[in-house]
Amino acid sequence: MTAEERNLHPLEVILLSFLGKNGKSTEKEILERSGLPDEGSYRRAVEWLLSRGLVREVDRTEREFVRLGPVGRANLDVGSTPETALLRKLTDGVRTLREAQEDVTFDRGRWGSAFGALLKDGLVRKDGDGVELVPGMHEDVFSRVWKHVYLPLREGEKELEISTLPEDVAGLVRERSPKRGRGKAEFQVVTVVERSLEITGEGRKALEEASGRTTIGAITPEVLSKGSWKDADFRKYALDIPPARIHTGRLHPYKQFLDTVRKRFVSLGFTEMEGSVAESEFWNNDALFMPQFHPARDIHDVYHLREGYTVPPPPRDLLENVASAHENGEGTGGRGWGYPFDRKMALKAVMRSQGTALSARTLASGPEIPGKYFGMARCFRYDQVDSTHLPDFFQVEGIVLGRDMTLRHLMGLLGLFAREIAGARDYKFLPGYFPFTEPSVEMHILHPRLGWIEGGGAGLFRPEVRLPLGIDVPVIAWGLGLDRMAMLAMGLDDIRDLVTPDLSRLRSMKVKPDRLLTGREE
Amino acid sequence: MPKVDLSRKDLFTLAGIDDPGDAALADLLSLVKGEIDNSDGDRLKIELNDTNRPDLWCTEGIARALRCHARGPEKHLSSANRTDLEIRVDGSLEEVRPFVAAFTACGWAPDEKGLESLIQVQEKLASSFGRNRKTAAAGFYRLDEIVFPVKYRGASPDTRYVPLGEDGEMSLREVLGKTDTGREYAHILEGASVYPVIEDSSGGILSFPPILNSRGTGRVRPGDSNLFCEVTGTDWNTVQLMATILACNLEDRGAVITPIRVVYPDGHPGRTGLCPVRFADGMTATMDDIESILGVKLEPGEVADALRAMDYPEVRIDGNSVTGVMPPYRHDGIHMADMVEDIAVSLGYGSFEPLLPGGFTRGRSSPLADLADAVRLLMVGAGFEEILRPVLTGMEKAAVRTRAPEPPVALANPMTAEYGVVRNSLVPGLLEVESTSAYAWYPHRIFEVGEVLRADDEGVCATEIFLAGVVCGNEANFGDVHSVLGHLCLARDVTLELKPGDDPRFVPGRCAGIVMDGRDSGVVGEVHPAVLEAWGITRPVAAFEIRLDSLGG
Repeated sequence: MTAEERNLHPLEVILLSFLGKNGKSTEKEILERSGLPDEGSYRRAVEWLLSRGLVREVDRTEREFVRLGPVGRANLDVGSTPETALLRKLTDGVRTLREAQEDVTFDRGRWGSAFGALLKDGLVRKDGDGVELVPGMHEDVFSRVWKHVYLPLREGEKELEISTLPEDVAGLVRERSPKRGRGKAEFQVVTVVERSLEITGEGRKALEEASGRTTIGAITPEVLSKGSWKDADFRKYALDIPPARIHTGRLHPYKQFLDTVRKRFVSLGFTEMEGSVAESEFWNNDALFMPQFHPARDIHDVYHLREGYTVPPPPRDLLENVASAHENGEGTGGRGWGYPFDRKMALKAVMRSQGTALSARTLASGPEIPGKYFGMARCFRYDQVDSTHLPDFFQVEGIVLGRDMTLRHLMGLLGLFAREIAGARDYKFLPGYFPFTEPSVEMHILHPRLGWIEGGGAGLFRPEVRLPLGIDVPVIAWGLGLDRMAMLAMGLDDIRDLVTPDLSRLRSMKVKPDRLLTGREE
Repeated sequence: MPKVDLSRKDLFTLAGIDDPGDAALADLLSLVKGEIDNSDGDRLKIELNDTNRPDLWCTEGIARALRCHARGPEKHLSSANRTDLEIRVDGSLEEVRPFVAAFTACGWAPDEKGLESLIQVQEKLASSFGRNRKTAAAGFYRLDEIVFPVKYRGASPDTRYVPLGEDGEMSLREVLGKTDTGREYAHILEGASVYPVIEDSSGGILSFPPILNSRGTGRVRPGDSNLFCEVTGTDWNTVQLMATILACNLEDRGAVITPIRVVYPDGHPGRTGLCPVRFADGMTATMDDIESILGVKLEPGEVADALRAMDYPEVRIDGNSVTGVMPPYRHDGIHMADMVEDIAVSLGYGSFEPLLPGGFTRGRSSPLADLADAVRLLMVGAGFEEILRPVLTGMEKAAVRTRAPEPPVALANPMTAEYGVVRNSLVPGLLEVESTSAYAWYPHRIFEVGEVLRADDEGVCATEIFLAGVVCGNEANFGDVHSVLGHLCLARDVTLELKPGDDPRFVPGRCAGIVMDGRDSGVVGEVHPAVLEAWGITRPVAAFEIRLDSLGG
């Protein structure tokens, strides 16, 4: 046994020292003399010590005690048993049982059975209807029971050990204490098992180790103020108990993921952009050189606000620049889309369908050159909501402006995102197509489990996008949908879990925003 | 993105190269911005990412790109210069479907598979590029039975012909109402007083475009080697380009293309001339332009080779500038940047070494996002769990159940009523959490910081960031949320006052307007039992909502 396992509770120390001093002792002696506060403390201490072999049981004795049953207590109340009462009546001259039964101290049945008992013991005899005492029989057992049992109990004894009673008294007590039907019993006999205990060798060792030192359970202010811990040991705790569950506030797991992405872009030198969830067609599409007849602008792809709701209109000069770019390419070096631009359509309010709307606004706002911008944009697409589509989704979008920006810088930047934001080890670039960039690039990144997956799109803004907004240097633009990446990193297979209203589900989600988009640690 | 289903054998036979296997094919497909969607034996499904290159949405187009990249540019439609054939257009279609393009293709007899593939291309172009036949759609006919000149004219809805797939004559009106195809596309002709028909000089109706061909000349069978093809539509360029693409495809298959002269009446927006039109988008870039976009210095010869490998029939080097002309089946060259991208695609993106941008830039998160972060942490410290809900929701939840004092902004074209409005408050989303989470441990302390859309009296909409918090549990009451407001205001150094409020969402007398630093900032109260009942919430709820920027301090 190790020292830790011998670590003793103060009550155990009290019990062990008593046995060490007094040798073999009965439990009664221990309880009365050891100084333990109560029987419960004794029981806990002794069972622990027995289970660890620090004390052992050396013998056990059974002792019988008598207590009064309900009938006995009633007898005590009236001051006699029916037997002693009947003997007195006969001595006083009563001659028939019927006459004795007129006394209502006891009911007729009990007078009757008392008579039966006296008759059986040969103390009385019958003579027709008459009853008389048998002469010469003065020492009857019933008076002795009154004297040896009833009277001591009336004086305050709770119970009497049967072995201390005269033999005939003990006999009658046993006879009148039925094992069953105690409700009408005159006496009850209780058997108590009494063990004797002694300390073992291990127990003496444990006692020596603990001697002079107490063991502290809870560290209370009193322990600290008195400094009692200085001469004490600390009780060791069990370590295999599961922790209690606690309930705390916490950030949303997906929001934490978005926070991480945001922090990383800031750390790479990007400035955050913000915008409205409702945009004009102008900023959402026209400024991005998306022709007004483009299929992606269809009523079945973009949500429009109901008639009567508007958003602030774009500045007049920008509207005209963009209109010319679409109609004939004027001021862009190209020939434009060659269709009549509808200025009214440009003012219509839609729900932002691509985060690039933020970038368009930034270009028109006099950005820094060189400059790097990003935005976490909630976007809206016309999709049936299911396990892979939400009514709105998060994209991270951004631009890099600089006189020297080229396709190679675009690739360098995407590679940086792949490593720093997505945690990808390998990635590749493929030609892509976006209406607002030329050349356009799609990045694929190698996911540790899923193989090659889409890792975002990018390109150099077309001159028809940036020139009408007043930017005459190349602009790298890039965007990445975050929901699917987050699902991969969070181990979810239903995108609706990202916005679940189910608190239990939310509480069961793991929080690992540091695991990057591919779920891989850096 | 369009997807095409094709036969590998057909693809590589037409491309003139050996099947290199899926891995190498995946690399080759970057030439057409394509990805293998599925590969199963001979069947190959390819997704094409360039929605501006309809010429690539077919076996012929992909094969041509692979072929030219290996062997150089090809001559297209060189025979299509002269013709005796004419289509005469009737002015009455100007408002309905004004434009038509047509040509004949002879000498290639498609077998069953060839015909299937032809129909697949025709359908793909009409559905994606032609906007579901509305902007443009094509039809094929047996040339031998057609008497020229052909007329493209407006006809009364009562005009009768025998449609393809039917036993007897039907009127055009009946075709729209009684045939499956007619019902599917009837909306294209909605409101038109005349319907378009193509009719030959013998008076036979070839077709009722863009709905249904005739059963006679309009039914092409395997083995028919002389074909007439027409494209009708509402957009000139789309109609012409679709015809040119189909002509190039048939030529690649071995047919000889003969043009047709389309004659428009005076004053019609269509221009009389030969079809198919050979588009020839020309673009000029200086060598400096190319270097400034691609980041590498290329020799003029390298540039010319790269463009020829993209089937540019004409590349001229003139001192420091390069002029390239796109092949006739493309019309996506609207800026020299488009040509420069073709150079990069031709060289392969893998040949460009990535570079990191230089130049110092300062990273900075937005002040409102920083404030949101600080407040979110205060809320978490107060024992609140953060919630994230969609911005789109339903009128029922956002307004009716919640008894919202102001209606949210509604969408004109919602997909379902469940997502028909833009939230103007975060409270309904949090109440939905409560109605869904009755079996999650109580008490619930939840909050959200997020975007809402608010409209002013004139209906002008703006996005605002709100903070809302909800406490729900057997003992939840006003004090629970009031104390949170106190906590936030103390931490942010903002003064807090409440004034009696009157908001149908809350219990009268237990609702207050929140005034922070002297400005109206939000509302707080015990949620009205009628609202709880509507949401099926069986425990008391106290809630608050404020504009996030009121905590700016």
